[in-house]
Amino acid sequence: MFTPAVLREHVPFLPPIRNTDKLFQSRDKLRGSLSGTSKARAQTKAKEPEQTSQVEDDSNKYSLTKDEVAIFRNSHKHNLCVEMLRQGYHRSFSELLALIHRWNATRAAAEHGASIWQQQPLEEQHHKLDQLQHLLTRAETAQRAGRYEEVYENQVALACYFVEPEDKWLSHHFYETGLVSARRVKQDGGRREAEANSNMGHVCTERGQLETAREHYEAFHHLTEGQAWKDEAGRTLHSQACQCLWGIYTLLADKMLENKEYGPAIETLTKAFQMAKEGGDKAVEGQAAYRVGLAYQSAGNHRTAERYLNLYVDISTVLGDEESLGNAYKAFAKSLESEGKLGESVEYLEKFVEVSQDESLKHNLEEACMCLGVFFCSKGQYDRGCQHFERAYEIAQHLNNVCVLQKAQVYLGTARACMMMASYSGQVAQARRVDTCKLVAWKESRNDMFIDADATARESPLHNPVSRR
Amino acid sequence: MSAKINPLANPKGANKVCELCEEPAYIQCTKCFVTFYCGREHQDDDWIAIHQKVCQLLIPVRTPVPYYTLEAEREQHCTQILERQKLLMEISQMVAEKKLFEKRHKESLPAALLSLRSAMDIYGTSGVQLVPAYLLLAEANIGLGNLSPAEQYLTWADWTVVRTPDCSRTVRNKLHRCMGRLFIVKGNLEEALFHLANDIYYASEEYGQDSIVTCGGYFLMADVFFKQGKMDIVNSLYTEVANTWHSHLSKLLEKHIENTITPEESFDEAQQAEADQMLRSMLDVPDGCPEQQPDQSAALAHSLGMLWLLDKDPAKALEFGKRALLYSQLVPDCSLTEPIQRLLQLAEEDLNAANKGWPELPHYPSAHTENQKST
Repeated sequence: MFTPAVLREHVPFLPPIRNTDKLFQSRDKLRGSLSGTSKARAQTKAKEPEQTSQVEDDSNKYSLTKDEVAIFRNSHKHNLCVEMLRQGYHRSFSELLALIHRWNATRAAAEHGASIWQQQPLEEQHHKLDQLQHLLTRAETAQRAGRYEEVYENQVALACYFVEPEDKWLSHHFYETGLVSARRVKQDGGRREAEANSNMGHVCTERGQLETAREHYEAFHHLTEGQAWKDEAGRTLHSQACQCLWGIYTLLADKMLENKEYGPAIETLTKAFQMAKEGGDKAVEGQAAYRVGLAYQSAGNHRTAERYLNLYVDISTVLGDEESLGNAYKAFAKSLESEGKLGESVEYLEKFVEVSQDESLKHNLEEACMCLGVFFCSKGQYDRGCQHFERAYEIAQHLNNVCVLQKAQVYLGTARACMMMASYSGQVAQARRVDTCKLVAWKESRNDMFIDADATARESPLHNPVSRR
Repeated sequence: MSAKINPLANPKGANKVCELCEEPAYIQCTKCFVTFYCGREHQDDDWIAIHQKVCQLLIPVRTPVPYYTLEAEREQHCTQILERQKLLMEISQMVAEKKLFEKRHKESLPAALLSLRSAMDIYGTSGVQLVPAYLLLAEANIGLGNLSPAEQYLTWADWTVVRTPDCSRTVRNKLHRCMGRLFIVKGNLEEALFHLANDIYYASEEYGQDSIVTCGGYFLMADVFFKQGKMDIVNSLYTEVANTWHSHLSKLLEKHIENTITPEESFDEAQQAEADQMLRSMLDVPDGCPEQQPDQSAALAHSLGMLWLLDKDPAKALEFGKRALLYSQLVPDCSLTEPIQRLLQLAEEDLNAANKGWPELPHYPSAHTENQKST
């Protein structure tokens, strides 16, 4: 009687209560992410006989283990720490906690508004903490077993993981600890210690502690001496060490030169040159020789400077490197000029022009022309000076460098003015009627009419045009 | 001291129950008339444990409130009672702790119970202040081997802590350590590790990583790993503990020599006993453990020597110092040799001073002896 005409689908009045599959999925994921111990525990649960009644199965499904509760209730850092400690990784735990405390202390020490307050605290960056935990525990396992090379590798992996600028300190920290464990590696003859020293050298250079960096690089150099170790790219570690030392010596010498301590600077640069020679890279060797030459030059010892510059020239000629050849010639010219050998100086400057003809060396060419111009002007040969300045100006127009262009303009202008000066002042002094007319005409036209007019005027004494610059 | 009472003669609604077991009471204390017991035995236990110290204090707390006409008087009475209850709680807690340290678990039980009762009177049944009392009870029960009541108390304590989100780390640390102990005794090592890990975490956050409180957790953990047979972990934990104690004691000795030691820093007897036991058990390697490094043994023996020197027992200090020196000679260029020799020197000086008796002061007849003579 009450049967409906159409069979209706059975639609429950309330939505199904057990619509909790999503929750279970997320929980299963959590279980998966839990540690080995809790996995083991979960497995033992799974192994329970399947005849368990539905009720028990449900309660199993709904109940949470202590670990799962802890995941929700405690911070991620807390869970990580507990996880590590449960497996006995107490060193990893204390290192992790010490790092977090160190970051917090740094922030507390920094004043409000410093950039560190903008950063996310380390303990809230979960992926970083996870990575730390993973590699630290692996390192500790290796340490317990006495496999220090593995410890070292894990620490270096950590150091490489932290690349962002605000994580630099972490990277530095792990390079430091890496050095400690590398020192305990016995089997490899000191290769890892050498590498760790090289890393520490980089770290110290980045921090600006050049002296410490030098010590580390020296240790690196010492350890690689006589060994044929090669890196992935096929370069020997020894030549790397030499190059690193060259770099740090040069940096140190730069500092000394800034303070005008020429003696020690030359000494350091000579050491750098030795290293560059030992490293076997010709380009670097040339560069080193050039730096020594320059240092001698600024100390006033032009003879020795020329000797080193000659070395540089030789190497550059062999390598066919025109840019460095140009640099060498320029330095030579400067040396000779200060020695008073003006003719030779000009020769070198002209050589400088010659080797700088290449399209990519336009800036050098411009510089060479400027040098020549300045030289001729200082000798009073304004017309030749002008020629060179004009050429420099032309090149500068294509260089897209406003500063250089303006400089060329000013120099050219001064040189031209100086060129006119003699006849102009001569005419002003004589003050004949013809002269007055000429002056008036010039004032009107502002065209250069003096040069052809009075050739004798050039012999009259001149102002030093250089001082007018 | 005890008078019999008959439960049937009690006024209606007033059930007198035993102070210890909460069974119907048959006798009462005649000094305070407010404590009741089921029998002679419980009364004696309670008397020895705590009652002799608090008998008179209990009277005002347990007698019914007299009739006051003024609001102010009633309030004053209330605050007075509250203060007394707090005092009672403190005293009983202290007594319980002391007895626990002395390993007299049975005697600490009634004291702990009283402290829990007074805490409940003050803070209600769910205050976080109840947790220390629960922990004392649990610890006493663990010591007596009654695991199920211990677990019961710990569960209550745990529940109380869970319900208090801003609970301090000190309390959490103590709770987890106690639970760790319980599970070690029960043989559930995984659970024990879980709790000890939490304990160490809270302790390091609260006291710092190189504090001796954290160290206690590490030591218990080493015990668990020892039972699991993971010797490499045990060794590394022992090294950690030994180093921490060694540096702590060295600092203390340094201060002791300079005479700048503060009362908070110095040990009390219980801590001293605990430290002694801990260091000794690490020094005397149990069988089946790989041979210890001589430098670690030297550090341990040195620590023990310093510990005893600080505790004014130069003979023992000398003994351990000599042992430490022996170990340190096994290690090439050991950095410890010099401090050990200094320790030996100090111990010998102390020993000589003790043998000679007190430094010779000019003898003045005291007023007391004068009086005796005159009488």
